[in-house]
Amino acid sequence: MSSQPEPAAPHGAPPARPTLPRTFAAMLRDTWREFLDAKVLYLLLLAIALLFGTALTGRIEPQPAGRQYLDIAARTLAADLEGVDLASETLGDVAGRFNGAIYAITTAEPLTSDLPDGRWKATLTRTFVPVVGVAEPSEELASRFGRIADGELWRVEEITETGSGWAREIGSQTWEMTVAPGRDLRLLWPHRFSLFRDGVELAGTKGAPLGLEVLILQKLLTTGLGGTILLLVSVAVTAAFVPNMVRKGTLELLLVRPIPRWQLLLFKYVGALLLVAGLLGLLILATWLITGILAGIWTPGVLLALPSLLLFFGLLLSVSVLTGVITRSVISAMLVTVAYWAVLFIAGQMNNVAVESRIREANVGKMRPVSIADSLRGKQPRREEPLKPGRKPFYQTAVGRTAEAIYSLLPHTEDLDNLVDRQLMRDYAVAGPFRALMESGEFSWRRGIVLTLLHTATFLAIACTIFARRDP
Amino acid sequence: MVVSVNQLEKHYGVNRALGGVSLDVEPGTLFGLLGQNGAGKTTLIKILLGLVAPTAGEAFLLGQPVGTFSARREVGYLPEDHRLPEYHTSRSLLDLYGALQGLPRRDRSRRAAELLDLLGLAGREKLRIRGYSKGMKQRLGLAQALLHRPRVLFLDEPTDGVDPVGRKEIRDLLLEERRRGVTIFINSHLLGEVEQLCDRVAILRKGRLIVTGTVPELTRQKASWIVRFDRDPPASFHVPGTSLEAVDDSGTLRLVIDSIVTPAGPDGALDGFVVAAGAAGLRLRHLERERATLEDLYLRIAGEGGPT
Ligand SMILES: Nc1ncnc2c1ncn2[C@@H]1O[C@H](COP(=O)(O)OP(=O)(O)OP(=O)(O)O)[C@@H](O)[C@H]1O
Ligand SMILES: [Mg+2]
Repeated sequence: MSSQPEPAAPHGAPPARPTLPRTFAAMLRDTWREFLDAKVLYLLLLAIALLFGTALTGRIEPQPAGRQYLDIAARTLAADLEGVDLASETLGDVAGRFNGAIYAITTAEPLTSDLPDGRWKATLTRTFVPVVGVAEPSEELASRFGRIADGELWRVEEITETGSGWAREIGSQTWEMTVAPGRDLRLLWPHRFSLFRDGVELAGTKGAPLGLEVLILQKLLTTGLGGTILLLVSVAVTAAFVPNMVRKGTLELLLVRPIPRWQLLLFKYVGALLLVAGLLGLLILATWLITGILAGIWTPGVLLALPSLLLFFGLLLSVSVLTGVITRSVISAMLVTVAYWAVLFIAGQMNNVAVESRIREANVGKMRPVSIADSLRGKQPRREEPLKPGRKPFYQTAVGRTAEAIYSLLPHTEDLDNLVDRQLMRDYAVAGPFRALMESGEFSWRRGIVLTLLHTATFLAIACTIFARRDP
Repeated sequence: MVVSVNQLEKHYGVNRALGGVSLDVEPGTLFGLLGQNGAGKTTLIKILLGLVAPTAGEAFLLGQPVGTFSARREVGYLPEDHRLPEYHTSRSLLDLYGALQGLPRRDRSRRAAELLDLLGLAGREKLRIRGYSKGMKQRLGLAQALLHRPRVLFLDEPTDGVDPVGRKEIRDLLLEERRRGVTIFINSHLLGEVEQLCDRVAILRKGRLIVTGTVPELTRQKASWIVRFDRDPPASFHVPGTSLEAVDDSGTLRLVIDSIVTPAGPDGALDGFVVAAGAAGLRLRHLERERATLEDLYLRIAGEGGPT
C-alpha cells in the first residue's frame, strides 16, 4: 500500500513549493493587518505626535550662573583632581586630595554675557594654609583651572600674575584671567525648562543643570513612562494574535499548508516583534529629536533604549505566545504576561534594595556618594552610617534573601534598563541616586542580554513544541 | 489510489472516533462520506490531511503517508465551521493562503480574481470578512480550497449556509473540477445533494464504515415496484421472496423484493411474481420501477442507535 502509482496532475503544472522568505513575508503581512485592525496603531501614532508637538512648545533657557561656576572652579583647585574619572567618583570621594592652598575668585565680570557661551574676566587669589608654602607657576594654574578630572568647565585664555614680593614667594598669589567656556560647561549650567511658551515651569525658576534635564526627559519618554505605556499597549494588542490563530476553524486552515508548524508560530512572533520595534523606534527617535531640538544635545546614548526595550518586549511576547498556545485565550495571555512583568519588576526592585544594602554595609565609614549635580548645588557629602545595633541589613533578612533567590532565577532584565541609564549618566555628566548601585559591578548588561535571550528562546521552544504536537 | 486507508483507528481519550476504517478512493472520483453527527467523518478527513495523528492503522494520500508536505502541496481543504480571520479582506486572505501554499505573487492575484469572480464574490474586495454573511464566508472558504489548483479536495459540508442558487453553482463548480481529474471528498448531511453529485458514497456509523458503493448500486439494493391489478389480490396471494403492501386506498400496491433472499436476483424475482399473478387470475394494469432514494438507505443504516 505504501507506494501507489500517482494519478496524473489534472492541471498540468507541478505544484508550487513554499519558500522560507515567501512564508515569512506572508506571515509578516498577516500580522501587520491584524495589528492595523486593532486600530490602536493610530492612537499610538497620535500620542507620539502629540508628545512631539507638546515638546516643541517647550523652551530650555540658560540662567545666569557664571560667577557661581567660576567659584566652583576656584574652589576645586584646592584638590588635585588629576586622572579622576567623574563617572565613577564623586566630589565626596576626592575631598581627601587637598593640596594645601585655598583659591578664590575676588572679582568677576562677563565680557559678553552671563550665559554658558560667554567669556569672563576674573581675579583669582591663592592663600596657603598654614601660611607658608611655595608659589604656583601661572601656566600650571591655567592648565588646572576649570578642569575637574575629565570634565572641563572653563578654559583659561589669558593669565597674568599681578602680585609680587615676599608674599608671592610663600604662595600668596593673585592673577588676572580671561576664561572661556569649557567643553562640559553647558551640560552643567542651570537652565530653565518650560512648556507651552513659558506656561508651565518644570525645573524651578533657578533651573537645573542642562544634562540632568535632558537625562530626565529622555528617560521619562523611553525606558520610563513613555516606553512602559507603549509596551503595555503592545502587550494588550499582541496578546490576541496567537489565541486568534489557534482558534478551532482558523488553525486548520493554516496547519494544512505544506510548511512546518513551528514556522507559523515563530513568524507570527517575529512579525509582532518587528511591529513593536517600529513603534519603539519611532518613540525613541522622537525623544532624540525633541531633546536635540530643545537643548541642542545630539548625543546618541538614548538610542540604546531601543535594543534594551525590544529585548524586554521580546521576552514578554514569548510569555504571551506560550500562554496563548496553551490556553487559547486572549485574556489569559494578557493577564499572565502582565503578571510576569509585575514579578520581574518587583523582584528586580527588591533585588536592587538588597544589593544596595550590601554595598552600604561594605562602605560603612566611607564617604557616601553624592551626585555631581547635587555637589554643584552645594550639597555636602556625608559619611555612611553603620546600622543601629541589632538591625540586620536587608540582604541578610529572610525577605531579602528570598528576593535575591527569586531574582537569580529570573532573566535579570534590570541589567538591560541599567545599560541605558548608565550610558545617559555618562553622556550628561550627571549621576542619579542609583549610580553607585549601577557602577557596583552587580550589574552586567552582557549577562542581562544573554539571560533574557535564553529565557525568551526557552519559552518559544516550549510553545513551538506544544503547537506542533497537539491535535487541532 | 488517491486515498488509501487501512484499519484506521482514532481514540480521543476513551472516546473512539474511528474504529478500524478501510477505504480506497480512485482518482477523479467525487466521493461522498455520510453519517450521523459524531460518526467520525471530520476525524477521518483530518487524519487524511495530516492534521490529526491516528491512534492505529495506516493512511496514504496520493501514495504518500499522510502529513507529508509533498502530499499537502496538492490538497485543498475546506474545514467545517471554519472561521476565516476577520481582519482580512477576501483578496488579502487568498493572498496569505496562496503564499503559504507557495504560489508566486502573480499567480496568487490572478487566481484570486478568477475564483472570486467564479464564486460570486467579485466587487466586495474591500470589505473585511467581519462584514461577510455566512454564505459569503462559505464561498470564500471554497475559494481558498481551490486556490492552488489541488489534485485532491476535502470539503467538509461545503454548501452549509449557501443559498439554493449558490448551491447549484457550487455543484457545477465541483463537477467541473472533477472533469479536470480532481478527486473530491465531500462530507455532507444533504443527501439529495450527495445523490446528485457523488460517484461513490460511504456511510459511517459510530466510527465504522457500514457501506460503500456507487449511488446506483446502493439505491438498487432496496428497489421496489409500484403495481396495480384490475382488482385487489386475495389475501392468500403470496410469492416467496417478495411482499406486497398497500400504498393508498385506490388499489395501488408496492411490491418489495428481498434481493438477498432471492437466488435469481431482483429481476428473476419480478419475473416469478408476474407469472404467479397471471396464474392467480390477476391482470396487471400498471408496473413501474420504484427507485429508493439515498435517504431511504441512510435512514435504514445510519440512524440505528441514534447519534453517537
Ligand atoms: N478534538 C477532539 N477531542 C475529543 N473528541 C473529539 C475531538 N474531535 C472529535 N471528537 C469526537 O470524535 C467523534 C467523531 O467526531 P467527528 O467530528 O469526526 O464527527 P462528524 O462525523 O464529523 O460529526 P458532524 O456531522 O457533527 O460533523 C465524536 O464523538 C467527537 O466527540
Ligand atoms: Mg464533522
